[in-house]
Amino acid sequence: MIQLSNISKSYRTDTIETLALQHLNLTVPAGEFLSIMGPSGCGKSTLLNIMGLIDEPSEGQVVLAGQEVTHYNGRRMARFRNEQLGFIFQSFHLINDLSVVDNVELPLLYRKVGSKERKRRSLDALEHVGLSNRAYHFPNQLSGGQKQRVAIARAIVGRPNILLADEPTGNLDSHMGDEIMQILLRLNQDLGTTIVMVTHDERMARKTHRLVRLSDGERVS
Amino acid sequence: MLHNYLTLALKVLRRKPFYTFISLFGISFTLMILMVLTSLFDAGLGKNQPLTKRDYLVVSPYAERSRTEPDTMLVIDTLTLAGGEVRYDTTEEIAQNVVSNSIGPMSYRFIMDNLVDLESAERVAIYSDGDFTDGFIDGRKFTFSSYYTNADYWRVLDFDFLYGAPFNEADIEAAAQKVVLTDKAARIYFGELGPDLIGREMALGRRTFTVAGIVSRPLADSPMFGGDIYLPVTTADARALASNEIDGGFSAIFEATSPRGRQAIKDEIEFISQNFQFPPESDYNGLRVSSATVIEGYAMATVQEQDPQKALRVLFIPLSILVLLFVALPLINLINLNVSRVFERRSEIGVRKAFGAEPRDILYQFIFENLVITVIGGAIGLLLAILLISYVNANDLLGITRLSLSYQVVFYYLLVILLFGLLSGLLPAYRVSRTNVAAALRG
Repeated sequence: MIQLSNISKSYRTDTIETLALQHLNLTVPAGEFLSIMGPSGCGKSTLLNIMGLIDEPSEGQVVLAGQEVTHYNGRRMARFRNEQLGFIFQSFHLINDLSVVDNVELPLLYRKVGSKERKRRSLDALEHVGLSNRAYHFPNQLSGGQKQRVAIARAIVGRPNILLADEPTGNLDSHMGDEIMQILLRLNQDLGTTIVMVTHDERMARKTHRLVRLSDGERVS
Repeated sequence: MLHNYLTLALKVLRRKPFYTFISLFGISFTLMILMVLTSLFDAGLGKNQPLTKRDYLVVSPYAERSRTEPDTMLVIDTLTLAGGEVRYDTTEEIAQNVVSNSIGPMSYRFIMDNLVDLESAERVAIYSDGDFTDGFIDGRKFTFSSYYTNADYWRVLDFDFLYGAPFNEADIEAAAQKVVLTDKAARIYFGELGPDLIGREMALGRRTFTVAGIVSRPLADSPMFGGDIYLPVTTADARALASNEIDGGFSAIFEATSPRGRQAIKDEIEFISQNFQFPPESDYNGLRVSSATVIEGYAMATVQEQDPQKALRVLFIPLSILVLLFVALPLINLINLNVSRVFERRSEIGVRKAFGAEPRDILYQFIFENLVITVIGGAIGLLLAILLISYVNANDLLGITRLSLSYQVVFYYLLVILLFGLLSGLLPAYRVSRTNVAAALRG
C-alpha cells in the first residue's frame, strides 16, 4: 500500500519558488493499478519520484508497504528501493554497453545474489515479457517496444511489491503501447503487483483500476 | 559484480577509442619513464651485486688535510681625547682560519696504521682506483682500468663470480701475481669467456699474472668498483705502498655488523681524525677522514658536495619535485578526462541508484573501471620500458651503466600503477557517486 499524506514539494531557485505539489493526499491500496494524468508540468513525475524515494517531499509523510519512509537515510532508502520498488521510464534508460540479460540483472547486483542465480532470475523475467530469445542482444539491436519490455523485466526481476511507471508508452506507437500495457496488466493481475503509472494517454488510463488527475500540483479528481 | 563492472569497463574503453588512446598514452608513457628512472637509480644505488650489503657499509673515499692558524683581529671601539691624551677601548677576536687544505685519497700506510683496526667495523676493504695498466697479447695492446685491493675487499663487496675465486690473505702476504677480471675484460683480452680461462696467464705491464677469477660486470659505474682488472694490493708500486704521507691513491670501505652500527664507525673515524698527531715538520695541523653511507657517498660524488646531509638534500629534493611534477601532469589530465567521461554516464548512474545502488557502489564501480585502464596502460608501459631498457643496454647508451628490471623495480612499478589508478579515479568517482537521481534521470 502507498499512503501519501499532505505532500508538498517546492523547488527554489535564486529568485522564485515553484510549488510542484500542494498538500496532496493519495492512498493506493495494495494490488491496485492506478494511473495519474494531467498536463505537462502539473507535478505527475514529481509525485512518482516521491513515491519512488528518489525525491524528497518538502512537507508531508510517505508510507510505503506499512513503513514510514519519509525520513529514511540515503542508505536505507537505497535498500528499500532495491527490495520493494521497480521503475519503468519513458526513455527506457537501458545501459547500451551491457547485454539485455546484464541490464535485467542490475537490481540483483546490489543484493547478495550469486551470479548463477542472477542469470536464472533475469532469464525468468525476460520470459515473462516474452523476450528470452533476445537475452544476449544489445539494447541498440532492439525496437522501442522491445527495449521497454527489457526495462519491465529489469523492474520486476527483484520481485518488488510496487511498480512505478513514468509514461511507459510515451515513446511507443499505439500498437507497441498496447503490448506494454498488456504486460503491465498481466503483472498486476497475476502477481498482484501494485502499479502506479503516469500517462498522457487517456486510452491507456482507462484500462487501469482508477485514474487520478492532477493540475498545478493539486488533485482535481 | 566484478564481471559486470569489467565487461562495462572494457566496453566503455572500446566505445571511445580516441579518449582511450589519450588516456593510455599518458599513463603508459609516464609509467615507462618512471620505470626507466627507477631502474637507473636501482642500478646506481640498489642492493645489487656487489652492493648487496649496501646498508652495512661506510665509505671513506678521501681525507682532507688542512692548516688552521689563529687569526687575530683588533678592533678599536672608542677613541677619546681627554686632556690632550688619546684613549681608546679595543676588542680582540681570535678566529681559527683555514689557510690551506688538500683533499684526496689516502696512502696505503695511513689506512693500515690508522683505520684498519676500528673496533666497530667487521672488516675493511682497501682499494686504489684510477690506475691504468696495459695488457699485451699476440702483439696487441689493451689498456685496462686497474684496481689494487686487499683480500677483504671481496668480502665487503660481493661480486658475482662467474668462474674462479678472488685472491685471499695468503696471496696478499705473498704478493701473488693473480688477477680478477670482469667478463667484459676477459672477452676483450682472450676473445672468449669460459671456465678454462682460470689459470691462464695475462701479460700486464711488465709482469705476468694468473687469472684467479672472472666476475660479471656490475650494473653501474662506481668509484668503488669501476675496474676492468683487480690485482692484489701488495703487487702495487712499492714506493706507493711505502709512502709515509697521508695522501696517496687508496680509499677504504668499512663493513658494520648492522645498519645501525654505521654511526659507530663514523664516530670512530671522526675521533681518529680529531686526535691525529701530525709530525712536527708537517704543513698541516687538521685532518678529516671522510665517512658516509653508500647513498650519501653517491650524492656527494654526484653533486660534488662534501657534507653528506647537504649532498642528499641538493640531489634528492629537486629530483623528487621534478618526478612529482612529471607524475602530476598526466594525473591531472586523466582526472580531467575522467570527470567529463563519467558525466556522460549520468543516466546510467541514475538508473543504478534508482534500483538500489548506494553512493559507495557507484564509487567502487568507477574506481574499478579506472584501475582497469591504468592496469592496461601499466602493462603497455612495462612493455615499452623493457624495450627501451634493452635498447639502452644493447647500445651502451649510458656508458658503463646498464639498466635492469629487478623485482624491486617491478614492485615499485606496481605500487605506482595502483596509486595512479586510485588517485585519478577517486575524485571523478566521488563526484559522480553523489549524483542526484531524479535530475540524472530527467536529463
